[in-house]
Amino acid sequence: MRPIFQKIKYFLEEVLNNLWQFKTRNAFSVTIICLSFLIVGIFLSLSNNLRFRARELSQNLSIVFFLHQDLNQEELSLVERQIKQSPLIARIRYVSSEEALEKFLKNFPELREIVDNLKSNPLPSSFEATLKEEPADTSRILSFIADMKKNAAIEDVQFNREWAEKMQSLSRLAEAIGFFLGGILILASFFIISNVIKLNVFARQSEVEILRLVGSTNTFIRIPFLLEGTTLGIAGSLLSLLLLYLLNKLFPVYLGTSLGALQEIISFRYLSFYQAVYLISGGAVVGLLGSLSSLSRFLRI
Amino acid sequence: MIELYRVWKQYQKPYWALSDISLTVKKGEFCFITGPSGSGKTTLLKTIFREVFPTYGQIIIAGKNILRIPNHKIYLLRRNMGIVFQDFRLLFHKRVFDNVAITLQVLGTPLREMKRKAFIALRMVNLHHRIWDYPTHLSYGEQQRLAIARAIVNNPRILLADEPTGNLDPELAFEIISLFKEINKQGTTVIICTHDKELIRHFGDKILFLHEGKLLRKE
Repeated sequence: MRPIFQKIKYFLEEVLNNLWQFKTRNAFSVTIICLSFLIVGIFLSLSNNLRFRARELSQNLSIVFFLHQDLNQEELSLVERQIKQSPLIARIRYVSSEEALEKFLKNFPELREIVDNLKSNPLPSSFEATLKEEPADTSRILSFIADMKKNAAIEDVQFNREWAEKMQSLSRLAEAIGFFLGGILILASFFIISNVIKLNVFARQSEVEILRLVGSTNTFIRIPFLLEGTTLGIAGSLLSLLLLYLLNKLFPVYLGTSLGALQEIISFRYLSFYQAVYLISGGAVVGLLGSLSSLSRFLRI
Repeated sequence: MIELYRVWKQYQKPYWALSDISLTVKKGEFCFITGPSGSGKTTLLKTIFREVFPTYGQIIIAGKNILRIPNHKIYLLRRNMGIVFQDFRLLFHKRVFDNVAITLQVLGTPLREMKRKAFIALRMVNLHHRIWDYPTHLSYGEQQRLAIARAIVNNPRILLADEPTGNLDPELAFEIISLFKEINKQGTTVIICTHDKELIRHFGDKILFLHEGKLLRKE
């Protein structure tokens, strides 16, 4: 075997032996790292979902013109023409009050009883106008809406760009909360790894001493400890990804249905490949830095 | 080969563990350091492999002042030395073979070579049949022989031994020192700390007497 592979084998054996020898404290630190990264992961996947919804909304940006009831065909055509004339509008669709009710009941089945108790259909008919793909200046859209509102046939106007923007800010907020809370916990993990490695260094002080006296370089002595910290970090972050995956699968089954329509917003979307890689690398870096800080303070070579 | 100039060592005021020690051990010499307990034998040995830094004085080994070697380069000095400690300093969670091979492992010796050298060293101390045992399964004397095997496995240029026969019966003690003598014949400089007068009388080429940190006489 080539000396370099032999050294790698030696380091790996040392790491595995040490991880096994102090399994309780190592398992404890893996758990803490896992929980820290799980918090980051949960908020990241909430943010992913919000961002996804926001993108979905912005791709179908539409203005809904709610109409007064009892309009005749001529008045309807007039409104339709007026909307179609705008250069901002790509297409337009008439939604009757019956269709609106049907859609409402589909989205909120739990409210069916209330609707059934009503004598008449409370939902107005409307025109759903989809905006052109290229994002138009919001002020132009708003002025178009203001013009339309002057038309007596139109009762109200709903423009969902605000929703898309709100979703996006919510997504950023979720991300920030995740990084803030996760950051604090990751800092705690750093100190825990640092202390675990410190204990391991103390437990193997005599071995370190022997290695020094038989002519080991400092790097040769340090590498197993550094690998140990890094392994703990990677194991913790991998475990957090696994738990996050399970959470993703189980959340809709156990809690999702009770949230009703809110499920679309308060839901998880699993991390992207790059996010997962960043999370694992984060674990490795926290582990490595924790070991380094411990070695620089407690390993007297 | 090994030269000490006016070496003083103080661990704690006002006591001097070593007082004004000057000596020379030539290449290939077989040297005993003797004296009563607490006379500074171990401290003297520790200054030679720089586990202890003298308070004053200079130590020259193979023409190099070892006190000027930076800490991160000290391994280069120790790779030329074999050290047998009074308390053996074995790795109890590793097998006999690994305890010996660790010296070669840090040097990056290829596996086949490592196995061969470790086996030869273990055969020299008559432990080759216990190669896969753990040190905890060895007797006190066997542990001492294992410590010796680790020190000689790399054919060091200098062999330092602190009370290497302290726990052995007289017969085995003679055997071990004869082994050191054999190694010495191959050109290794050997320095042994002991207060076993019988061994000194039988094997002593060069004897250094220490008392309360002072070098009383050289024979």
